[in-house]
Amino acid sequence: MSRAGLVLWRLLQIVPTFLLIGVTIFVLARLLPGDPVSAMLGDRASDEAVNRLRQQMGFDRSILTQFVLFIEGIARGDFGSSTAYRIPVTQLIGERLPVTITLTALATVIALVFAVPLAFVAAVKANRWPDFLIRGVFQVGLSSPVFYVGLILLTVFAAWLRWFPVGGYGETLGDKLWHLFLPALTLALSFSAIIMRNLRAAILEVLTAEFVDFARSKGLAQRIILFRHVLRNALVSTVTLVGLHAGSLLGGAVITESVFAVPGVGRLMVDSIFARDYPVIQALTLVLAVVVSLAFLVTDLIQMALDPRVAR
Amino acid sequence: MTARMPRLRLPGSLVAGGAILALMLVCALAPGLVAPYDPIAFDYTALLQPPSGAHPFGTDQFGRDILSRTIAAATIDIQIAVFATVGPLVVGTVIGLLVGYYGGIADMVFGRLVDLVVTFPFLVLVIAIVAVLGPGLVNMYIAVGVVGWVFYARLMRGEVLVLRNHDYVSAGKVLGYGEARILFRHILPNAARPILVYWMTDMALAILLGSSLGYLGLGAQPPAAEWGVLIADGKNFFSQAWWITVFPGIAIILAGIGFSLAGDGVADLLDVKR
Amino acid sequence: MSGGPDPILAVERLAVTFDTPRGSVRAVDGVDLSVREGEILGLVGESGSGKSVTLRGIVRLLRANAAVAGRVLWKGADLLAASPERLQAVRGREIAMIFQEPMTALNPVLSIGTQIEESLVAHTTLDDAGRKRRAAELLDLVGIASAKVRLAAYPHEFSGGMRQRAMIAIALAAQPRLLLADEPTTALDVTIQDQILKLLLGLCQDLGMAMILVTHDLGVVAETCDRVSVMYAGRVVESGPVEALFRHPRHAYTHALLRSMPHGGAARQPLVPIPGQPPRLDRPVEGCPFAPRCQLVEDRCRTVAPPFEPVGPAHAAACWASDRLAMAEGTA
Repeated sequence: MSRAGLVLWRLLQIVPTFLLIGVTIFVLARLLPGDPVSAMLGDRASDEAVNRLRQQMGFDRSILTQFVLFIEGIARGDFGSSTAYRIPVTQLIGERLPVTITLTALATVIALVFAVPLAFVAAVKANRWPDFLIRGVFQVGLSSPVFYVGLILLTVFAAWLRWFPVGGYGETLGDKLWHLFLPALTLALSFSAIIMRNLRAAILEVLTAEFVDFARSKGLAQRIILFRHVLRNALVSTVTLVGLHAGSLLGGAVITESVFAVPGVGRLMVDSIFARDYPVIQALTLVLAVVVSLAFLVTDLIQMALDPRVAR
Repeated sequence: MTARMPRLRLPGSLVAGGAILALMLVCALAPGLVAPYDPIAFDYTALLQPPSGAHPFGTDQFGRDILSRTIAAATIDIQIAVFATVGPLVVGTVIGLLVGYYGGIADMVFGRLVDLVVTFPFLVLVIAIVAVLGPGLVNMYIAVGVVGWVFYARLMRGEVLVLRNHDYVSAGKVLGYGEARILFRHILPNAARPILVYWMTDMALAILLGSSLGYLGLGAQPPAAEWGVLIADGKNFFSQAWWITVFPGIAIILAGIGFSLAGDGVADLLDVKR
Repeated sequence: MSGGPDPILAVERLAVTFDTPRGSVRAVDGVDLSVREGEILGLVGESGSGKSVTLRGIVRLLRANAAVAGRVLWKGADLLAASPERLQAVRGREIAMIFQEPMTALNPVLSIGTQIEESLVAHTTLDDAGRKRRAAELLDLVGIASAKVRLAAYPHEFSGGMRQRAMIAIALAAQPRLLLADEPTTALDVTIQDQILKLLLGLCQDLGMAMILVTHDLGVVAETCDRVSVMYAGRVVESGPVEALFRHPRHAYTHALLRSMPHGGAARQPLVPIPGQPPRLDRPVEGCPFAPRCQLVEDRCRTVAPPFEPVGPAHAAACWASDRLAMAEGTA
């Protein structure tokens, strides 16, 4: 399949997933005990107010009509208005989503910057002290909760040393990246541990491949053998892993954004949950699923670039 | 020299992980015996004390002993590790077994479900469900259970697909064994090893998840001592009294390392590739 | 051995021991080989006889758990004692190697052109355009049509025979003087096997390159080689000119091997498989390693290892029964 064809095919595949999630959310919201309207307005709201909101949100119509309206809204990109912020959900998410995407992308870059060279050292020095040291440190990283790491980094580097801002988000790109650095580092820690572990194993496996012997028999420099022959092949499986973790990275962003007061969709999700802002929760759930699907697609494209066997 | 005795060699990681988990378990089951103070007793003569001989981990803003609180919290966190995973373990294993063995439409539906679950940020899903059900440990177990079983089922299904074509399964059919007997007596024990190893990892993840929810205020509710809740309690005092936050965090990391090492050890022992 | 110019490669008492979890395994046990300029030496034996390990030992392409002893004299200097830089300069440039399975020996994620050009970068001063031209010439040389286009192709886009041709082209990039060929035809279809052998033979002649051809196929040796060394259980048991060795085997193992193959030797004889298994190499072998399977075995074979002695012109064998083999031939 051609590259363009594959992209198109994968984009089409997102549609059923999207619909399935949409249906699930719709059904869950209606099956769960309690009335979202009275939940939103609180126990002391007047019947009048409750009825007005019910009407506004379409809860007085039949389930089927509600479902059709719901899907129709999604198709038009209309998710209604946030009950907490009083602005269209689309606008709200449009403002917040780029922040989270930047955060997770930065975290991925940081994770790779740590993991790739160290996985290399650990694999080449397998079962000797550098390997044990690297694996030990990363094991601690893997076992550390995101919020805890965030708190420590925040206190040490922002509050005490004042190298970084304590929270929030900047105006210019450089300023934004500076604001996002600590949260991204926090998010990167356990992610880089997962990448390191996988890549180390992959490198060890590739090192025993016959094409590495053949490369040696050609009299190539060790540096070229390791980078061109070993690393490139080992990265193929690791790229898949990075893509598969897009979801957990977004999950981590929820916590990181809460700790560092970053105005992204993760924090919006938590805030909306506490505010019972159902339109936002529904829309975010769908949007995050799409983001993850797109991350899978990007992963596939990178893998195609790395491994010509996939490109067919 | 006498002949060498055949000796079961335990992997070092299993011994180390087991030791850490044993320590955690003692704290969890009998916090009263290990903790030097009452974890909820206020002591206004010792507020925000740094670590000392009397209070190795210091005290918080109410004079409560952090060491005792960290130990007491083990009860809830170890409970989370077990309760949040046993349900998914059992349900997922059985579903994976059936889906893998019988295939068909159920298998196809399962495939779509797996796509759905891996596409979605697990933590966000759990948070969303907890938010709807209301904060608290029981609701957290339900939320984790709703999604968590899929990972076990996927793993189990993969194992069953491999085992289904093995000779002893065909032999069992030829001998006229019942399906249930083939499934539970022949396939399950052979497919169980990777599940067991994954369970270890999953318990570590459960503690991370449980403490994260506790930190966000969606998991265990104060005044119950839970590591994530303790960290949340201490975060506003971090600059003056780092010990309130730091020590419960170390407990989480230690528990995670314990489960990971034990998982590696079990994998080594059972010769499971990870 | 006598006659001819000095060898370019002389392997002396080469021994390779692998340190494994189940103890040490002596895969190669005191092997002597020599190759002269432009000569083709066959190295035959059953799988596990140590022929591939010997070949890899020559250019030190062994895993970290291998201990190598002896000497590998390349143009008079010992490769086993050479510095990593010297070894790197010899590999590919002077001694190149091709492997049994091109699918696993070629890097799947690099184009054939890249895999040729990186050798040229390492060993020549050609510029980018020059390397491209040379790479196309090489593919042309090994008989790959429309070479220029094929440079951009990846290994998985080639057929088995084409892959083997590509691997030969890569190995020949820097015009080595000696090619180590490790069962280069075993993984291929019979019809293609023949093509590849002819190609290798032609290349050796045209380029004046020497070759050590490792194979378990005596037919291949008979067709292509000048001299042959027979290996068994990590040792060379017989060595000599192909003609002499095939007509007058002086080791019981060679004799049995020739009888086990369809067109072995001069006269057509019924096929006789060799019963039994080669000895385990993780413990010392007493006497002749072939003794347990040998039909000509005598008492001393089990206790005393026979010396490797001349049995004819440039022909030597390590067998207590070599005289009896010679006599049997006379009466047959």
